[in-house]
Amino acid sequence: MIKKEIYLDYAATTPVDPAVIAVMIECLGSSGDSANPSSSHLPGRRAKARVEVARSQIAKRIGVSSDTVWFTSGATESDNMALIGAMRANAHRGRHLITSVLEHKAILDTAHALEAEGVEVTYVNHDPDGIVDPDQIAEAIRDDTVLVSIMHVNNETGVLQDIAAIGQRCHECGVLFHVDAAQSTGKVALKLEDWAVDLASLTAHKTYGPMGIGAIYISEGVSLDPMIHGGEQEGGFRPGTLATHQIVGFGKAFELADPDSDGPLLAARRDRLWTGLNAIEGVSLNGHPAQRSPHVLNVTFPGVEGSSLQLALANVAISAGSACNSDIPDPSHVLRGMGLSDVLAESTLRFSVGRFTTEAEIDYVVGRIQDEVPRLRALASGAPVWTAS
Amino acid sequence: MDYSSEVEQRFLSPSRAGELEKGTPGLVSGEAADRTLNVWIRFQIQVLDGAIRAARFSVYGCPYTVAAADWAAEWLEGRSSTALEELGMLRRYKKLGVPVEKLGKLLLIEDAAAACWRELDGLERQKRN
Repeated sequence: MIKKEIYLDYAATTPVDPAVIAVMIECLGSSGDSANPSSSHLPGRRAKARVEVARSQIAKRIGVSSDTVWFTSGATESDNMALIGAMRANAHRGRHLITSVLEHKAILDTAHALEAEGVEVTYVNHDPDGIVDPDQIAEAIRDDTVLVSIMHVNNETGVLQDIAAIGQRCHECGVLFHVDAAQSTGKVALKLEDWAVDLASLTAHKTYGPMGIGAIYISEGVSLDPMIHGGEQEGGFRPGTLATHQIVGFGKAFELADPDSDGPLLAARRDRLWTGLNAIEGVSLNGHPAQRSPHVLNVTFPGVEGSSLQLALANVAISAGSACNSDIPDPSHVLRGMGLSDVLAESTLRFSVGRFTTEAEIDYVVGRIQDEVPRLRALASGAPVWTAS
Repeated sequence: MDYSSEVEQRFLSPSRAGELEKGTPGLVSGEAADRTLNVWIRFQIQVLDGAIRAARFSVYGCPYTVAAADWAAEWLEGRSSTALEELGMLRRYKKLGVPVEKLGKLLLIEDAAAACWRELDGLERQKRN
């Protein structure tokens, strides 16, 4: 039996895991820990203990020590903190930042804001599959380079960058390395300390945790100017009263997010979906076919306008482009950056599977798309083929 | 994107999508396209004795464009051929719930109808000469 609505937009946000909901409700309840974790009385110390348990759960999942993890409102704030904070704190070393054109808007818009402050930004290229070459990063590093920022898993294509190799190049050159790892947890392994990562952005809501809570990893000894002021919480990096119940949910979500168990299941669902979609004439997969996260599939359906296919599949939650950008009429900057024409970019959908996706749901979606793509193509019979840029 | 129920209904079950049979008497066609808007539309119209007897459309575009083309084809049927020049999509967009930023796409529907009118006008001039 197929549910009325099928959710295949896990890269935008995940449903909250029932186990996460349970610990959050318990924390918020009358017998929970709702005192201010910064207070010195017993209820406050109990709340602080809950926060520290969550911090260690998160640290364990990403392969770092818990005293390097600081809570924020989410990955966008962490990205801003990492780029702006590191560039300002290290202005004496230089004013050069390196990133790629395929990054999330949280990075690109922050880089543009820094350019307005006089920071010079180099946007490195990538191959047609969306892979950034670590050697190209090394070549772009200059004497005045302070920071390199490259995302781990691309939110639109699922392409996985070789963070360990890029981190090695950065450290050989004495340059800080930031990773936006918002999409990674629970899908692929994260070993940030082993990979020579200095700064990393994390969020709970893409890993079956609550919205509105995230974290930044700041490697020991890395200087960062705080963006907001008003207290000593979170090492002074991010003052403000901690949201204990969200942090507790965040910790539980990361404790559950085991890529060794979830990863193969996600890959099986994704591959089943691709096998079905690939039977439709003319479809193509965007991004590297193997170097990718198991949860994202980005597919172009030539001859079909993306928003039309979305409406035809109205009971299936999917994204045209990235979810963050779905209300923006411009074609995805990531797909354009990978060489797709505007027309093909607008004929592209992102599917992302998750822990609760079933085989029956995949089969239903494949069947619907196998019906709807020919119908929409027939509706456009005789239309010119707009494939070139 | 929130679509009106009329847009959804016309998009999912357009009543006049497709083509008229080759050799249909009084057949004229016209198309319009704008690559920057990602829209292409073609009308096939049967005009007999100055009246539009049938209208069909083919379209590549967003759901608003599909629904508006379906409405336009329906509106044209039964009217005088001069309706091809009088198709007022801007008077209709609010009822369909089409956002202002999509109006350019609807104007292409008018252009395609006008192209049918030009073909019809040309054929009638040929007959007169």
